[in-house]
Amino acid sequence: MYSTVITGALQGASAYPVSVEVDISHGLPTLSLVGSLSQEVREAKERVGAALRNAGFHLPPSRITVNLSPADRRKEGTAFDLPIAVGLLAAMNLVPGEKLTNTLFLGELGLDGEIRGVSGVLPIVREAALRGIQQCILPAPNAAEGALISGITVRGAASLQELLSFLQSGEEGEGILPATQLDASRLFQEKAAGRAPDFSEVNGQETAKRGAEIAAAGFHNLLMVGPPGAGKSMIAKRIPGILPPLTLEESLEVTSVYSVAGLLKEGEAMVTRRPFISPHHSITQAALVGGCAIPRPGMISLAHRGVLFLDELPEFQRAALDSLRQPLEEHEIRIARISGTIAYPSDFMLVCAMNPCPCGFYPDAGKCSCTEPQVRRYMGRVSGPILDRIDLCVELQAVDIASLKNSGRGEDSETIRRRVIAAREIQRERFLGTGYRFNADIEAADMERYCALGKAEQEYAEQLYRSLMLSARAYHRILKVARTIADLEGAAQIGVEQLLEASFYRPAQEYWR
Amino acid sequence: METGNKISFVTPLEAEYPEKLRHIPDAPGGLYIRGKLPVETGLTVAVIGARDCSDYGRYVAEELGSFLGRNGVTVISGMARGIDGISQWAAMEAGGFSIGVLGCGVDICYPAGNRALFDRLLEEGAVLSEYPPGTPPRAMNFPARNRIVSGLADAVVVVEARSKSGTLITVDMALEQGREVFVVPGRVTDRLSDGCNRLIKQGAGILLSMEELLEEIEELKVRTEERGIGSMPEKAGSSQAHMEKRRRQSTEKGQSTEKGQSTEKGQSTEKGQNAKKSQSSEWSREDASGVAPELREIYQALDFYPCSVEQIVARLPGRISQRQAALQLIQLCMENKAIQVSPGYFKSP
Repeated sequence: MYSTVITGALQGASAYPVSVEVDISHGLPTLSLVGSLSQEVREAKERVGAALRNAGFHLPPSRITVNLSPADRRKEGTAFDLPIAVGLLAAMNLVPGEKLTNTLFLGELGLDGEIRGVSGVLPIVREAALRGIQQCILPAPNAAEGALISGITVRGAASLQELLSFLQSGEEGEGILPATQLDASRLFQEKAAGRAPDFSEVNGQETAKRGAEIAAAGFHNLLMVGPPGAGKSMIAKRIPGILPPLTLEESLEVTSVYSVAGLLKEGEAMVTRRPFISPHHSITQAALVGGCAIPRPGMISLAHRGVLFLDELPEFQRAALDSLRQPLEEHEIRIARISGTIAYPSDFMLVCAMNPCPCGFYPDAGKCSCTEPQVRRYMGRVSGPILDRIDLCVELQAVDIASLKNSGRGEDSETIRRRVIAAREIQRERFLGTGYRFNADIEAADMERYCALGKAEQEYAEQLYRSLMLSARAYHRILKVARTIADLEGAAQIGVEQLLEASFYRPAQEYWR
Repeated sequence: METGNKISFVTPLEAEYPEKLRHIPDAPGGLYIRGKLPVETGLTVAVIGARDCSDYGRYVAEELGSFLGRNGVTVISGMARGIDGISQWAAMEAGGFSIGVLGCGVDICYPAGNRALFDRLLEEGAVLSEYPPGTPPRAMNFPARNRIVSGLADAVVVVEARSKSGTLITVDMALEQGREVFVVPGRVTDRLSDGCNRLIKQGAGILLSMEELLEEIEELKVRTEERGIGSMPEKAGSSQAHMEKRRRQSTEKGQSTEKGQSTEKGQSTEKGQNAKKSQSSEWSREDASGVAPELREIYQALDFYPCSVEQIVARLPGRISQRQAALQLIQLCMENKAIQVSPGYFKSP
């Protein structure tokens, strides 16, 4: 009496298939679970036993062995409850074996036989579809999420009893447990069109808004410096609104991460807005980049394809900030643990905000009460390697009441977004077939190719380089930003104006000395 | 280096003891000196002010130190961060002489950030203290140190001071010792000039022109010497009274000029014009002639204070966009006609 059931497990943000093998044989009555299991998987023994009993099935007084294969990979989570229960029922000959082929089971069991939602459904279903599995039985709360994947039948089951009657039925099964139908692209469009904070609500701050637009167009990292109340957070919150909307493919990527992290809200099938993640500055390194003994995606992965906003940058722990270096370069985070290395996607736009000094008013000598060493110390808390990865730096001024009243409403996010999308389109064509996606990605070796300058401009750039005493890295950053500005204006060549504007937004070295 | 490394100790019994200090109340019983003290006959001016000075203060201290250095006037100060150190450095840059009076032992460089200045003073000037070598910089030492700063000087110039500033202690000491006090005026809205403006109100001398300052000090020195070196003013010890007297004098002077207008009209206007001319040329930056015509307006809108792009745009006669202004400012930076203090703030060099 042997049976096998297909299920899946997570490794980082991706999934791999797991088969649950159940054997019932003669011997002293015992139920043993094997296959490199974590604590919560071992506890499945108790949950499954009770759930089956309450659903009206008694395990035979035999020697029962359950193996989760591949047996050498660590299994975590509670999603194995349902496949183990189904495997036991099949081994007890209560479910016809042919019903189990080509069907993936996933779910946690309550003691009363209820099937409860689990995290990480989307990557597992996607992997199953890729491997040609035809049907998925998921907990009812996760059915919509699984149904996002096309080419696979997804059914949501609420209880063990319901599921069993479906598995025991013949042709009429469709009526008992109907396949969940979901048009991903329609849902996507419906949800993407919602109200978000708009740039027209920001008064004044022209330079900062322009900086945000350039940053959004080239996916450059942005730093905002300014006194408290100048509107740094306000602008940061509106940046996702001027980034191009998520594509369906991007949306599935983001949804996968949220699914793995167990952060999809009930009834929410997918993430359709660009994420805006703003962790508090007390965050630890593990929470920021992900990890822990049981690896979970960190904030930088939750910000995948969106904005990671670090407010009060100097207050962050140095170790946490420095751990951003690798993901900023490689757009994914690899976490090495003794159990192996896992990778989560983390392609985010870094937006930081800080006060220029502890009191917030430097360099306004009239208002600032900090001593110069205090200011230097405060600035020094931001590590050089992070500053090196910031292409644009803008400074905001405190807004006075008069300009709050007088200035009319600025441009709305939609207008800015149209310009950003146009600039993105130019970049997409430029980088077709290369590994790059945005101007911010261009590496030093390819600078000549993508940021070529005319003769006059070249001379001007060299003059800039010398007179502003730029480092090579700073010079390249200016070129990249100038390229984005040119794209925003639809210009094929970088001109002197774009070079000058890019220089204005450079994080000035003197300032960070 | 030889002279700098050696610490000598002088008491009032010795001839090397600075003559000026002998006559101040509570004169130090002994001085530890590194470097060489200047000849006693030369003019000495103490330049003092806030440690966290504004760019305006920095500029004035630089110009003043450099002017005094060029004219062979010894600059005395406390070697502190800000005005003190800036003026001393500028004086030595200009080939002048400077003395740093410390509130710790002469073997300790305090603040540590002024290491370069300390070394240079040992080489080209002098460092002295009444505290034995090894004394750490304790807060209580500094007010006492200030009496030596003013005591060594013929006149004291306050460049920038908040309303509750240690600088004002030095001023009190100076008045007690009968030294002239000159103050660099500031804006009434500027907290860093509150102390200065208050002193002006109380009757301190106003520093408008460095040339005039020099003349006044020279005149003063001659007068003092006629009376006998270091003799006390009649009302020494009461700073308020001294300042009060000065204020009365200045009002009287003003009135007398008014009265004598008809007779001295031609002369006085001529003098006034001269003064005006010298003042403006003394303090003004490089003229705008080297600046491209299209950048001239924005160049003239710059200030010693860091100003935001918004503020600069507001000063321009014609309306241009902030973006346009930013581009022009960067162009000025390229030609060293402006400095980008922080991403959004610019000032003139």
